[in-house]
Amino acid sequence: MTMARYLIASCLVSLGTALGAPGASAQVHAADWVSYRDAYRAMVVFEKYGGPKNYIQNHLQVVPLENGAVLDGLQLTLAAKASQVNLALDALGRTAFPLLKAAYDDNAALLLNRKIGAFSVRPRVSLLPQADGIYDEAQLRAACEQALGFARYADASLRTRQCGGVRFVFARRAGDIAVRLHRAEGADQTLAPVTGAAFQGEVGEGFPTVVYRFAGAERAQVISANPPLAIVPLFE
Amino acid sequence: MNKFSALALIMLSSSAAAQTPATNPMPDGSRDMYVGLGLASAARYEGAGDSERKALPVLQVQWSNGVFISGMSAGMHLSRNPQLEYGPLVELQPRRDESGNSGGIDGIEARNSIVALTSVKLDQNRLYGMTPVSTRLLGGGFLNYYLTPDWRLTGSLLLGAGNERDGARLDLGVQRLAMQVGVHHRVSVAAGLSFANAHYNTAFFGVDRLDSLRSGNPMYRAGSGLKDAHLGLRWNWDLTPSWMLSSQVQVKRLTGDARHSPLVERPTNTTVSAAFAYRF
Repeated sequence: MTMARYLIASCLVSLGTALGAPGASAQVHAADWVSYRDAYRAMVVFEKYGGPKNYIQNHLQVVPLENGAVLDGLQLTLAAKASQVNLALDALGRTAFPLLKAAYDDNAALLLNRKIGAFSVRPRVSLLPQADGIYDEAQLRAACEQALGFARYADASLRTRQCGGVRFVFARRAGDIAVRLHRAEGADQTLAPVTGAAFQGEVGEGFPTVVYRFAGAERAQVISANPPLAIVPLFE
Repeated sequence: MNKFSALALIMLSSSAAAQTPATNPMPDGSRDMYVGLGLASAARYEGAGDSERKALPVLQVQWSNGVFISGMSAGMHLSRNPQLEYGPLVELQPRRDESGNSGGIDGIEARNSIVALTSVKLDQNRLYGMTPVSTRLLGGGFLNYYLTPDWRLTGSLLLGAGNERDGARLDLGVQRLAMQVGVHHRVSVAAGLSFANAHYNTAFFGVDRLDSLRSGNPMYRAGSGLKDAHLGLRWNWDLTPSWMLSSQVQVKRLTGDARHSPLVERPTNTTVSAAFAYRF
């Protein structure tokens, strides 16, 4: 056997061994996986962003690429050499992503507990929800501007976009959605929910959503009786 | 804003234009390293009519301070802006002698042919009698701009090529990074142009009087200008978080004075490669 053939054979043997034990840890049954380093690379951009971001938050989102994928019961586990951490996913497939040097150095894996077909993972910025469900128009606008500022920082092609409003996204089984616009002069207006995708470009539909579009410099509040899953900035 | 898989394993730097891996932010003190072994079929030298099969090592390392090694290139990311990448760049240009371009990495010159080379008779080898072009460490810089997180314009300028160390090459290109074609499959596409000064083209495509007498090639003075246009397609298959199969096909067409050199037997060369890489 020539040296070159020996090297190739050794490489293939090692590969076979690795395929039998995907991820840095084989303790968790994994139906699929994502590299922690790849996720870290995408998620740390928000952490390093130096602009204002006190009204916004960043999640790692598991995004099915095929229509009809169900995220209920989906679990994500961060599997490093010495530890495993369950990362709870919300109904939109999002989780708070831990930026851990130990997991990075271990080349850890993010393990999905079941197959959901083709998917990707990506950072997802949304507005921070308020515990009392009351959102000042000025605060929503400021939060949207913060999200747009970060989006422009990460993507030069968004320079010409403007904040057009926000979308409140609710759980599929949230019951009756009651969101109203309360104006300073006392006139209230109910904002009608429509069914659609939580985020622009996603295939997963069927979420009750309420869109509030910014109009002039009115002094108003958006009052939601239901806790939203997410408040999504709308760039137009 | 998704820069997942912006990885560009560079293992054929001798045949590909200098490329820089995308910025890879990581925890302080960490590094991201790929090591592997690849098989490649490439032209014996730029413009050769025959090709050879080589085993080429794969190496890409990025450190948290921005320093990177990517194949035969090394550099440092200095920008903190995610839309802009720039910094110094060095590239090891392999020796070219009668047998063609040398393989090798980190200064170790070695021909790694594991399959019998295409038989080339001496009287058909246009490099026979030509002065060898010595290994050179080229120095310069790179500048990349992201139109979107998936599209970037690339540029690099490298100086110091050729025996006289006065050759300069400017590479300009556009890359589409990381098109996901499956859960663990990603494809990237790159196209570019390489410009060279007269010294560079003279070193690799010119024939002076002494070379002409020894080789039988007609004398040829190569001027500056567009040297080649190239198009590449890379497919990365993540087998596990640690193992990857990276495959590439690249087509390069020599143009201008380089194309008309008597050393050029075929202006269009195709390079095909595949390599397993382990991520540490």
